[in-house]
Amino acid sequence: MTSLRIPSRPGEIIDRSTTLAFTWNGRGFTGHQGDTIASALAAAGVEVFARSMKYHRRRGILTADHWDPNLFVQVGDEPNVRAGSRRLADGMAVSAQNVWPSLRWDLAAINQLVGRFLSSGFYYKTFMWPRFLWHTLYQKILRQFAPGGRIHWETSTHGAYDQRYAHPDVLVAGGGPSGMAAALGAADAGAAVMLVEHEAELGGHLRWGGADDLTDLAGLSAAVVDHPGIEVLLDSTVTGRYDHNWVAVVQRSHPIAPERLIKARVGTLVVAPGLVERPYVFAGNDTPGVMLSGAARRLINLWAVKPGTRAVVLSANAQGDAAIADLESAGVEIVAALDARAGDDIVRVEGRGRVSSVHLGDGRTVKADLVVTAIGWTAPTSLLNMAGNRPVYDPAAARYFPDALPDDVLATGGITGDGTTAELIAHGRATGTLAASRALRARHDRISATVRSRDPDAPRPDVLADDRTPLARAPHPECYRSTTHGMVDYSEDVSSKDLIQAVQEGFDSIELMKRYTTVTMGPSQGKLETVNAAAVLAEARQIPMADIGTTVWRPPFAPITLGALAGRIFEPIRRSALQDWHEAHGASPLLAGQWVRPDHYGNPQAEADNVRNNVALIDVTPLGKLDLRGPDVANLLELVYVNRWQKLEVGRVRYGAMVAEDGVVSDDGVTGRLGEEHYLMTTTSSGAGAVWEALENWLQTYRPEWQVHVTAMTGGLTSINVAGPRSRDLLNRLVDDVDLSPDAFPYFSVRTGTVAGVADCIIWRIGFTGELSYEVHVPSGYALHVWETLLATGEDLGVAPFGVEAQRILRLEKGHYIVGQDTDGLSKAPTAGLGGLVKLDKPDTVGLPELKHAYERTDLPVLVGVQPDDPTIVPEEASQIVDGETNTILGRITSSRMSPTLGRSVCLAQVDPSLAAPGTTITVLLGNGSRIPATVQEHHAHVDPEGARQRV
Amino acid sequence: MARHAYKYSAGKLLKHGLTHGDWPRMWRRPERRDSYDVVIIGGGLHGLATAYYLAKDHGITNVAVLDKGYLGGGSGRNTAIVRSNYLTPDGVAFYDRSLDLYNTMSADLNLNIMFSRRGHLTLAHTDSALRTMNWRAEVNKLQGIDSSVIGPDEVKRLAPSLDVSPDTRYPILGALHHPPGGVVRHDAVVWGYARAADHLGVHMLQETEVIDIVCEGGNGRDGKGPGGKVTGVRTNRGDISTPVVVNCTAGWASLISNMAGVPLAITTHPLQAAVTEPCKVFLPTVVVSGSLHVYVSQTDRGELVFGASIDPVGTYRVNGTLEFTEELAGHVLELMPGISKMRLLRQWSGLCDMTPDYSPIMGFTPVEGYLVDVGWGTYGFKAGPVAGETLAETIATGRTADLIAPFTIDRFTEGDLVGEKGAAAVGH
Amino acid sequence: MIVVPCPYCGPRNSVDLRNCGEVVPRPDPSTASLSEWSTYLYLRENPAGWITETWYCRSGCRRYFTIERNTVTNEIRDSEAS
Repeated sequence: MTSLRIPSRPGEIIDRSTTLAFTWNGRGFTGHQGDTIASALAAAGVEVFARSMKYHRRRGILTADHWDPNLFVQVGDEPNVRAGSRRLADGMAVSAQNVWPSLRWDLAAINQLVGRFLSSGFYYKTFMWPRFLWHTLYQKILRQFAPGGRIHWETSTHGAYDQRYAHPDVLVAGGGPSGMAAALGAADAGAAVMLVEHEAELGGHLRWGGADDLTDLAGLSAAVVDHPGIEVLLDSTVTGRYDHNWVAVVQRSHPIAPERLIKARVGTLVVAPGLVERPYVFAGNDTPGVMLSGAARRLINLWAVKPGTRAVVLSANAQGDAAIADLESAGVEIVAALDARAGDDIVRVEGRGRVSSVHLGDGRTVKADLVVTAIGWTAPTSLLNMAGNRPVYDPAAARYFPDALPDDVLATGGITGDGTTAELIAHGRATGTLAASRALRARHDRISATVRSRDPDAPRPDVLADDRTPLARAPHPECYRSTTHGMVDYSEDVSSKDLIQAVQEGFDSIELMKRYTTVTMGPSQGKLETVNAAAVLAEARQIPMADIGTTVWRPPFAPITLGALAGRIFEPIRRSALQDWHEAHGASPLLAGQWVRPDHYGNPQAEADNVRNNVALIDVTPLGKLDLRGPDVANLLELVYVNRWQKLEVGRVRYGAMVAEDGVVSDDGVTGRLGEEHYLMTTTSSGAGAVWEALENWLQTYRPEWQVHVTAMTGGLTSINVAGPRSRDLLNRLVDDVDLSPDAFPYFSVRTGTVAGVADCIIWRIGFTGELSYEVHVPSGYALHVWETLLATGEDLGVAPFGVEAQRILRLEKGHYIVGQDTDGLSKAPTAGLGGLVKLDKPDTVGLPELKHAYERTDLPVLVGVQPDDPTIVPEEASQIVDGETNTILGRITSSRMSPTLGRSVCLAQVDPSLAAPGTTITVLLGNGSRIPATVQEHHAHVDPEGARQRV
Repeated sequence: MARHAYKYSAGKLLKHGLTHGDWPRMWRRPERRDSYDVVIIGGGLHGLATAYYLAKDHGITNVAVLDKGYLGGGSGRNTAIVRSNYLTPDGVAFYDRSLDLYNTMSADLNLNIMFSRRGHLTLAHTDSALRTMNWRAEVNKLQGIDSSVIGPDEVKRLAPSLDVSPDTRYPILGALHHPPGGVVRHDAVVWGYARAADHLGVHMLQETEVIDIVCEGGNGRDGKGPGGKVTGVRTNRGDISTPVVVNCTAGWASLISNMAGVPLAITTHPLQAAVTEPCKVFLPTVVVSGSLHVYVSQTDRGELVFGASIDPVGTYRVNGTLEFTEELAGHVLELMPGISKMRLLRQWSGLCDMTPDYSPIMGFTPVEGYLVDVGWGTYGFKAGPVAGETLAETIATGRTADLIAPFTIDRFTEGDLVGEKGAAAVGH
Repeated sequence: MIVVPCPYCGPRNSVDLRNCGEVVPRPDPSTASLSEWSTYLYLRENPAGWITETWYCRSGCRRYFTIERNTVTNEIRDSEAS
C-alpha cells in the first residue's frame, strides 16, 4: 500500500525518527512513536478496520479518538482496544474482532442481505417455536452476533494494580484550555490541584488547531507543568463522581501498571471535558471514508496523515470551516464545500468499503472518496449528571447545557458555552479560583470539626461569590438527520429507521426506545448517539427536543478494567500462634471463617480415640474470648444470657446461651468469674466479633450507667484444650501454683496460674469432649513454648495433638450442639433444648417476650439425638427426615459421624415435635434416594450421658 | 374491551421485511377513566402480570396500571435470573410455579422472552455452606425439582473459567447445581405482559404518579389505617375512584403504604449491578457465590452481567457507589482470575425493599380494598408471573390464594416469619 | 463512599464504620405484648427523607453514635454519641 503520510505539520505528535513494527491481521506494518494504532494503519492506506455488530458492514475511521465506535481491535490477549486512542507500541499484534474468516471476507456480512428482516427487536417476534430448539440452535445463532474481542481467560494472569488514595482540594477533569486555566487559577489561590487529561498530551482542541492555538497551548501547558501546586495525570480519565465528591480516576500513564484506579476525596470537582462532535444521520453515513471534522483535523495535524484525495465537506460551524483549510493544506481536493448554515445538505453516500460518490441536497452527485461533516456538538455531561445535574436542551445553540450543580462541583469550558481561546481561559481561571475558595473553606471546616483539631479557632476562610461571566452560547443550526435514514448507533447497528419503528410500536419514551432497540447501550454508552436518538424521537413524536429527557448517564465515563477496579486483593486469614507448628506436623488445613485451623493430623478417628483413652491437645484459639471488668458485669451477663449470673462465685464457671431480640439462638459459651469484678466470657469462634459489638451496643446505648470494660482477647490468648483421663496427670507436671485435685478444682471452675513457667495463664475445667479436660489460655507470645512443653512432658502418657474433625466427633458423641449447625437462622430456645437454662422471670433479657412466646408454642422443631438402626450407615448431614414413604418433610439430620467409641453412627437431628419422644422410629432419606429407619434417643449424648467421665 | 392481538411470528417478519410495512403498536396510550374496578400502583413486572391475569383468568378488565415513569420501571434493570431451588417447601412450590410460567411464556404471550435455561450454580466455599446446599438439594428433590450438589471437578466442567484449585482463599468445595434455572430477557417479559394485558383491555397509564390513597373509616389520620377502606387514588393527572388498590411497587412501597396508613416491615436498600464490554462467550452458566457475595452470567451478546448483595446502608439513591464495583471486581477475579482485562462498561442500581425473613408481603391488609405485593428484596423478578397469578386470584375471589398464605402481612405482628433465610445467600 | 462524621474520630469513610439502622425505642421486655415487641423488631418507618440512625465506628474508636441523614440526598447533619 502507498503511504499517506504528509510532510511535517507544526503540531504533529509523531517522532519521525522512530520506527515501530507491528502486525495487523498477521501482516507487517510500521509506524512512529506518537501514532495511534489507527493513525499508523491509516498512514499505510488501511481503510477498513472492523465489521459492524449486526450487519457486519465495513467500517472505517469516524472520530479518530477514544470514542470512535468503529475502531475496536484485539491487541494480543487484550480485547476491545480502542485503536483511535491507543498509542502504538513496538511488537503489537493487532487483529480485527468479530469477523470470520477474515476482515476482508466476512461470512456474517450475509446478514446485510437479510437486513430488512432483522429490524430492531426481531428476535422478540420469532424463535419462539419449537421451544427445544431455543437452547440448542437459536441461542447459538444469536451468540454469533456477539461483538467484542476474545478474553483469554486460560492464560491471562491478573497483574497487581495497586490503587491510590488522593485528597486534592481541586480536581480538574480535562486538560484543554479551560481546564488548564482552572488548574492554574486554583493552584495560584493555594489549593492542591490534580489535573486529569484523557489524552496523552495536554491541550484539548488546541492541539490540532492553527498557529495561534499551538502558541497558546505551549504557554499554558508549560505553566501547568511547572506549577508546584498542580499534579498532572495524562492518558487518564475521571470516570466517576460519587456521593460526597468521591471521585474515581483511571490512570493509564503509570510506568508499571497498564491501568490503575485512583480514588480521590475531592474538595471541588471542576468538570472541563470540552465537547464531543456528533455524527450526521444520512444514508451511507457509516461507509469508510465518512468522518467527522475533528477526525480529519486530528489525522492531518497530529499524525500527518492524508485522510483522502477528493473530499465533500458539510460544515455548520467554525471548526468545519477550519477543517476545509486543513484539508487543502494537506493536498486534499475539495470537490464540494457545503454550508449547512445556508441550507446545503448531504443526502446519500455510495460506496462499498470506501466512499465513491456523494448525492448532495441540491440534486448534484459528485465523485469523492472522503466525506467530512461538522454539524454540531454533544456536551458530555456525564460527570455532572452523576452529581445530580439534569442537562437542559437549548434549541438556539443546538445542544444540551448543564443546569444546577451542587456546591462542590463546577463546570467550565466548552461544556458551558463558547468563546475565543482567551475567553475560555478567562472563564477557566475564574472557575479555578472559585473552586479553590470553596475547597479551602470545606477543608477548614472538616479539620476544625474534629475533636482533636489542633487549631479549632483558626479563622475560617472566606468563600467567593460566583460572579463569573458566563461563556456565550453561540447560535448553531440544528442538524441531526438529513432526508434519508442512516446509522444513529454505530456500535449497535441501530439506524434512524429502527428508532422510528420503535416509536410506532409504542416504545415512545427515550428509555423504552433505548431498551427495545439497544441504542446507546454499546461501548460508547451514548456519547455519539444519545442526542441523535433524542432528535429522531422528537421528530417521530412531533414534540420539541427539550421535552425529551436523555437516558441516565451512569459511571464509568470511560470503561475500566476489572483488574484496576479490584486492585490488589486483600483477603487476610487469621492464624493462631501454633498454626506454623500444625502445618509442620502434617495438619490438614481447615478454613473456618476468618481462621485457618488444623482439621486433623492424618487420622481423626485415632485422634478421637486418644482423647478418650489417654490425653490429647487441641488448639482452639479462634474461640471468642472477652475480658469483662467492672462492678456491673453480672448485670450485663443477666441481660445478654438467658440464664442467671448474679450468684456465680469467684473461681466458678457457668454455661450461657444467647438469643437475639427475636428469640433466635445466636451464640453460646462458658463464662467464668476470675475475680470480684473480673470475668472472662467465651463465645463461638464465628460469633466472637458480633458478640463483642453487641455487648458494646448494650453498654453504650442502653445502659451507659453500667460500669463494664470489655477487652477482646481472642487472639491475645492462645487456647489449648488438654483433654483425656490423663490430662490432670499431665498438667500436674507443669503447674505448681494451682491445686488441680478434684476437690480443690471441681468441674466448671476456673483458676489463674503458671503453666510451664508462663505466668498469667487461665485454666478452665470444662468439657466439650466429655472427658476430664482443662482449657488453658496462654498469653500468645508464649503459647508455642507451652504447647511443645506439654507434648514433650507427656510423651509417656501418650499425648498427641488432635484436630477440629476429631473434636467434632467427640462433641457429637456427647451431644453438644453447635450454634449455626444444629440450630439455624430460625431456631428458638426450645428447639436447642435449653429448657431449664432459660429464666423467664428476669426483669430484662434480650429477646424476653419472644422467649416467653416460644415456650408457649407446641409446634417448634426439637433437637434430638438419633441413631440409625443400621450402625454402619452414616447419613450425610442435611439428610431429610420424611414421613414414611411420602415426601412430607418432618426434619433433618444436622450432625452425623461414625463414633469410634461406640463403633456405630451417631447423629443430632431437628425433628417435628410429634417425633421427639425417645424410642420413636423415624425415616431418614439418604442422598442416594434410599430410606432407612433410625431411632430417637433419650439424650443428646450417645456416650456417657450422665457426664461421669468429665467430673472425675 | 379486548382487541385482536397481532400475532408475531417468523412469517410476519418475512412479510414486514418484504413490504416495509409498519408494525402495529404493542400497547396504547389510553385516555384515563375516572374510575376503575382495580387500580394497580406500579407498572413493573408484578403490576403488569397481576393486571394480565386479572383479565385473562378472571375476566376483570376494567383495570388500570399506574406508573410514575415509563413501563417496566426497575423490572428492566435486574439481572433476570430465574430459578426455583429454594430452601423451604413453601418457597419451592411458589417459585417453581413461576418457573413453569416462564417456560411457556414465549408462546403464551406471543413474544420471545429468550429464556435461556443454561443452569444455575450456587458455589459452596465452606463446610457449612456445603451443608446448606445439601439441605436445599434434598428439599428440592422431594418437590421434584432438579437440584443436586456437585463437586469441584463437575463445577469446572460446567464453567471452565472458574478457578477450582484448592489453594485459593475461598476454595470451591462444591456447588448446588440447578439445571432448569437460567436467565430471561427481562424487558421482553415486561413488554410481553404489557402487550397482552393491553390487548385484553387493561389501561396502562405511564408518567402518572400516585400522590395519595383516599380512605375512609380507618382509625388513623384522614380515615386511613386499620379498619378503614379504600375509595380511590389521587394522581398528578387527576383523581381516580376505585374500591381496590394494589401496591405493586418496589423502592416506594413504604411511601405508598403510608398513604393507606399501613406500616410495613421493610427497609429500602439499593441493589447495584454492572456489565462489561462484550467478549466472545465463555461462561455458559449462571454462577452465584454466597461467600464472595457475587453472581455472574454472560449474555448472548457476550457481556458479563454481575451483581452482589444489597448496599449495607439504606438509602433511596440509585446513583451507585465505587466500592460496589471494586469489591465486585475483586470477588469476580477470585473466581475467574483470567478475566482481569475485561472492562466494566456501566453500573446501575435499583431499590430493593428488604423484609426480615427474605420473603415478600402479599395479600390483604388491615385496610379493606388495599392489597400489597411488596417486600420483594432481591428476588422479585423470578416470582413475577406467580405473584401476578396468585394476586389476581386473591383479588378476584376475595380469598388469599394458597401459595401465598405464608406471605401474609400479619406474620410480623404474630412472630411467625418464613424460613428462607438459609437460601437467600446473595439472593439470586 | 460517603463520609460519616464520628464524634470522636472526625469525618471518616463509611467503610470504616457500620450502619446499624433506624433508631427504634425498645419497649419494656417484661411488660411488652408480642405485638408491641414484633413492632419493635420488624416495623420500620423507612423514610424517604431524614432518618435518625446509629453507626458503629468499628475501625476506629469503637463507639456507637447517632446521626441524622437524608436517605434521598445522603446529606448528613448532627452527629451525637449514643
